Amino acid sequence: MAFLEINSVTAGYGVGPDILQGLSLNVEEGKSYCIIGPNGAGKSTLLRVICGLIHPRTGAIKFQGEDISRLRTDEILHRGISFVPQDFSLFPDMTVKENLRMGGYIMEDRSELEQRIEEIFEMFPILKDKTSDQAKTLSGGQQQMLAIGRSLVLRPKVIMLDEPSLGLAPIIVQQIFDSINTLKELGMTIIMVEQNAKKGLEFAEWGCVLDLGVNHFEGKSDTILHDPRIQELYLGKIQREGIDE
Amino acid sequence: MSNTTIILQLLMIGISLGGVYALMGSGLTIIFGVMRIVNIAHAILMMVASYITYFAFVNFGLDPILSIFVTMPLMYLLGVVVYKLFFSKISKDARYGELTVLLTFSIALIFEGTLGYLFTNTYRTTSPGYATSSFLFGDLYLPKGQAYATLLSLVLILLLWAFLQYSRLGNAIRATMQNPTAAQVVGVNTEKASVIAFGIGIAMGGAAGSLMTYLFPFYPGKHWEWIAILLSLIVLGGMGSLAGAFVGAILLAVSSTLVTHYFGPTWSPITFFLALFIILLFRPQGLFGKKMEVK
Repeated sequence: MAFLEINSVTAGYGVGPDILQGLSLNVEEGKSYCIIGPNGAGKSTLLRVICGLIHPRTGAIKFQGEDISRLRTDEILHRGISFVPQDFSLFPDMTVKENLRMGGYIMEDRSELEQRIEEIFEMFPILKDKTSDQAKTLSGGQQQMLAIGRSLVLRPKVIMLDEPSLGLAPIIVQQIFDSINTLKELGMTIIMVEQNAKKGLEFAEWGCVLDLGVNHFEGKSDTILHDPRIQELYLGKIQREGIDE
Repeated sequence: MSNTTIILQLLMIGISLGGVYALMGSGLTIIFGVMRIVNIAHAILMMVASYITYFAFVNFGLDPILSIFVTMPLMYLLGVVVYKLFFSKISKDARYGELTVLLTFSIALIFEGTLGYLFTNTYRTTSPGYATSSFLFGDLYLPKGQAYATLLSLVLILLLWAFLQYSRLGNAIRATMQNPTAAQVVGVNTEKASVIAFGIGIAMGGAAGSLMTYLFPFYPGKHWEWIAILLSLIVLGGMGSLAGAFVGAILLAVSSTLVTHYFGPTWSPITFFLALFIILLFRPQGLFGKKMEVK
């Protein structure tokens, strides 16, 4: 039994077409995964389905043996799966501390929540200096740290990150990946969707290539990174060579 | 009376009137902020509370101010029922924005017709003792009824603000207003937050409806005039902003009082629509609002 099991899932938005078209993926505990693929492949949709923002039309998602396909996001959070959406998804008019408090919204013990917020501040000291600042006043990198920090308040078993490097300067991207690396060292299961496929695959242990809503190819990140077909199709080698010529 | 005294007098009347307008607008702006519903039915639902107050005053002698203890819970429940009946079903529709306008327009017509049938289109008003007396400050006066209504409005708005700022549920509503996806991601049941916010918005309108019974004579069709005024003030303040609704209400109430004094009451309504026109042309997000992205 896999830690997180996605079985032949189809899903889409509203009355629109299926974005995921029978996708299957097994996630093992403590491993890190990078999901790559072209635009519209269903990468973000997959993360949204796992965290309950949209429900599968067919197929099932099981976490630690329990079917979570029809659960609400808060119920899935309770079971230990956190999600950091694209573009940080913060509460712009709330302060840094209020955003972190919202990360523990489903916690009953408020004093425990305050203690966990202090732990997040230890992990991201820059946020502690900005406790009372509104989230919208932070830089892009700080906002991403806050988004990741907010998702860690519940001490999740699985953290899913949608494009954590999107729109950030290279030096900031490195800082963000260093933070995510800390989570990896702590043994957390990480599922990441990353447009910067090379960076994402270098970080993760396992890579999945999605195309047209199915798991087109998966394997060790190293293997994917050096597979000439994948390089041509998804890692931009053709374009780079074209430019180089 | 010197010019300064006249200006001070007008400011006093305008500001106190603005407090009541702010109470009326606060519910409308919360509903828009959380659910993106431009609630065209807000003023007629306010009038439902006015008629309950009127009925209780005429039949049981219940004071209009005290009647908010009846109208607010009743209007909260009515808001929850209206939301569950109509809005829950369309919340995932791709044309949600357009549908809410049409839907609230229809709701307004249904309630207008029902109130017209039950109470006829005769002007109604309540007349508690304080409605006809004033506080005197030298040459200045402040109608007691208006003062009480303003004070109560301020208290209710402050309570609403404190609820949104400091309670767990209030934070969930605020989070839903600022970023519904992020709110869901942290475990807020945004559907529940929306139902409660809609109920609270209508309850605030209910309180305003009770207070307006002795301030402004009313009949069912009057709600079209009111909704136009309320939309003007929340657009001026910035739709979805509680502080904006408050500032917009004070600014417009003072302006309309000045216009009424210097140009006559006929010109008073134009203050609101002129402000709406200007703000939409030059700062469509309003004074405190944020620009919205169209995706």
